[in-house]
Amino acid sequence: MAHSANTLDELKVLPTPKELERPLLVANGRSIGWISDQVAAIVEGKTPGWWWAAFIPSLLLLAMLGAMLLYQISTGVGVWGNNHPVMWGWDIINFVWWIGIGHAGTLISAILFLLRQRWRTAVNRASEAMTIFAVMCAGIYPALHVGRVWFDWWLFPVHNSNNLWPQFRSPLMWDVFAVSTYFTVSVLFWYMGLIPDLAVFRDRAKTKIRKFLYGLFALGWTGSNRHWSNYEKAYLILAGLSTPLVLSVHSIVSLDFAVSQLPGWHTTIFPPYFVAGAVFSGFGMVLTLLIPLRKVCHLEDLITMRHIDVMCKVTLATGSIVGYAYLMELFIAWYSGSPYERFAFLNRLGGPYAWGYWIMMGCNVIVPQLFWFRKVRENLWWVFVISILVNIGMWFERFVIIVISLHRDFLPANWGYFKPSWVDICTYLGTFGLFFTMFLLFMRFLPMIAVAEVKGVTPQADPHDPRGGAKEGGHH
Amino acid sequence: MSTHSDSLKVEPLDLSRWRDVPTILIFTGLVGAVLGLVLNVNQFAHSWLVAFMFFLSLGLGGMFLVLVHHLFDAGWSVPIRRFCEHLACLLFPWLAIFFVPIALLAPRLYGWMNVADPHTDHALHAKLPLFTKPAWYLVAALCFAAWWFFSSRLRHWSLEQDKTGAAECTFRMRRLAAIGVFVFAVTLTFAAIMWMKGMMHQWFSTMYGVYYFAGSAWLTLATVYLITMVLKRNGTLAAVLHEHQFYFLGSLLFAFTVFYAYIHFSQYFIIWNANMPEETFWYVIREQGSWFYVGLVLIFGHFFLPFLALLRIDLKLTFWWMVPICVWAWLMHYVDMAFNIKPSISPGGYPWMWAWLDLSCLALIGGVLARVFLKSFASHPPFPIKDPRLIEAMGHRHPVASPISGGEMDETDELADVGAEAGGGAR
Repeated sequence: MAHSANTLDELKVLPTPKELERPLLVANGRSIGWISDQVAAIVEGKTPGWWWAAFIPSLLLLAMLGAMLLYQISTGVGVWGNNHPVMWGWDIINFVWWIGIGHAGTLISAILFLLRQRWRTAVNRASEAMTIFAVMCAGIYPALHVGRVWFDWWLFPVHNSNNLWPQFRSPLMWDVFAVSTYFTVSVLFWYMGLIPDLAVFRDRAKTKIRKFLYGLFALGWTGSNRHWSNYEKAYLILAGLSTPLVLSVHSIVSLDFAVSQLPGWHTTIFPPYFVAGAVFSGFGMVLTLLIPLRKVCHLEDLITMRHIDVMCKVTLATGSIVGYAYLMELFIAWYSGSPYERFAFLNRLGGPYAWGYWIMMGCNVIVPQLFWFRKVRENLWWVFVISILVNIGMWFERFVIIVISLHRDFLPANWGYFKPSWVDICTYLGTFGLFFTMFLLFMRFLPMIAVAEVKGVTPQADPHDPRGGAKEGGHH
Repeated sequence: MSTHSDSLKVEPLDLSRWRDVPTILIFTGLVGAVLGLVLNVNQFAHSWLVAFMFFLSLGLGGMFLVLVHHLFDAGWSVPIRRFCEHLACLLFPWLAIFFVPIALLAPRLYGWMNVADPHTDHALHAKLPLFTKPAWYLVAALCFAAWWFFSSRLRHWSLEQDKTGAAECTFRMRRLAAIGVFVFAVTLTFAAIMWMKGMMHQWFSTMYGVYYFAGSAWLTLATVYLITMVLKRNGTLAAVLHEHQFYFLGSLLFAFTVFYAYIHFSQYFIIWNANMPEETFWYVIREQGSWFYVGLVLIFGHFFLPFLALLRIDLKLTFWWMVPICVWAWLMHYVDMAFNIKPSISPGGYPWMWAWLDLSCLALIGGVLARVFLKSFASHPPFPIKDPRLIEAMGHRHPVASPISGGEMDETDELADVGAEAGGGAR
């Protein structure tokens, strides 16, 4: 080890070259006081015109959702396009799609927290909210597709009057537990993270009603050492509990398909492939939401280009994993020698729904590869368009898995062509109404950026950082 | 602060008594392997393949860590990157040389190579032209060529940066990694399919490449953790290591403990639940005789034990706790490789009477690779001395405020100066 000794003697730590310097997570040297003011301004200021312009159509779509659900409940599942041989159609596609979108929030708040990824602080709150609202949208479908919604309670392990128990061996049953647990923990995590910021809003409130409501939900937070200590411990524990949930929910959703014997569904790679796809679509939606919001809410110094850059990279990584899974499915369909497997995949590539398969491949595998280029990652228009294409591609992934696998099964006499009904389409559009209504209300009344957490990643918060510490510590 | 550091001070690790271990391994291994080859060629071929796939995991895992380091522009992993590059460079020529016996004895390992007319075997016929001898050798050649190219180029630019400190080297390595990660995924998958899954060519699973990858990454992380610990304790890397290297390695080891179990359970569960004979037979064979108990060892030893052992953050930083776990990881990965490979020659259970041959092959390959690794390590700087991210890895100007922002509560105490950091971190 003679080399080592010489090396250590000569060791001089060089400064980071300019082209490799990491941009600050809060740009333009903003003070911690500015961070509070800027985030609070969204809630405390006058309701902007753009908010109404977004809220009113969302509310109308939500009303349409209500009407569609009422119509479906009063008439029956027959109003949907589901019919032999495609007995699972848009209901399950949209369920899986929304659940997938709900994966980025908990990944950002739990897994990236445990991995000490400090950039998460600016985007975690909005992503968690997105998760909760997406899971709400998703939850509508399984509740309704049973047909007689008044029997939904049979899904829970409650002894009913016919002496029946749920089928515990069914993945649909596991979905009930997985999704409801995920929703509960996500809400808890989200709410707990909100507490210090709600206290800030309480202290800044100018009206009695605001003071009362923010104070009520701030649970008496004073910011004492004891509060912070308990808070941080709880945060760590919740992060630990949430992490397996990020994996388990979509794994169980994948088992809805994989435990069957249907070619195109029965494949061992489904659980990790679904999880990667869910994170991929979740980040797609986070980018879709945050790119316009950072502009209209003047949050460019908090959700910086560095944040966008990192999220593009996560999208690229997960998109590539999904691409690996697509290709592996194709390869093993050939490798297996099973004529049914081979047919199922040839039917995807060149059958009546081939257009759906190629949209999926284009949007999920090819388009995200543009994120390899820094210029694309730095151009918000490109990023925004690609993020929307990711959302579209992931919807088509579920379409490919469900509709294409079902529409041509083992007996050619059974083959058919699925078309959604107008109720399918309007219900799906209606879920956007629910999602955006909830999200717009959230950003108008709650801190959409985790103020306390973002302050913790500023140079001012670090006494050893030459750019901050006590020297430039902002006023508050 | 001084009290805190003093309490953590330990005697530098004396490795001199271990110096001859690789040589002993090589000679005892060589004797055993030659004897095995003479006594039973088939047994030798299988024992050799298990040992080869085990060490291939290490080379590929090293390559994976280097690739993701560049792709994610990581800072913390700079001090450990150099020896990961050496691990990756074991792939060529050394592991390629160790592949020669497999190439020569392939017909004894892969039954499909002995089928006179592949058209009479549906599973084989369906895989034409991939499952032909020329294609099999071509795949092997392409895999090693790709591994040689990427491992050597990545180390080349890393060493080049030791001279100049230029950011351009970082960008070159990043570009290599961008292409390399795709090549890595494809070659690893093909290696797992052609060299392990292909032993029972009727069987198929889309998860198999991921399965081998998960185990390989787990083994490599355990090895990297162990090497980092040793290099810190003997003073080689002490000046550039910080607590977060151990935190991240420990966390990744924990994550891959779960990931491997998740992957293996998913594969097993989906096959078991569908209950289709063309898939289940692979597991049915592995439930015969003592293979059933080997399966249980994997469930408890590969998952539950390390899972529970790695749960606590403080224990993930403790030398005496982590060393046995890392050694255990080696044992478990070996058991996993044997579980995949050996039932095709010993369907009734693990062949205990040939255990000495397994150990001999392992010792021979391991001994040679250890010598090569140590030689590479000694002849180059032990870490990338002019990497622009080194300062970040060492904890200087590493802005940490609270657990919420991504640090830990008392970390600021360790950031006072370099001297204090040298003793900080893992114990």
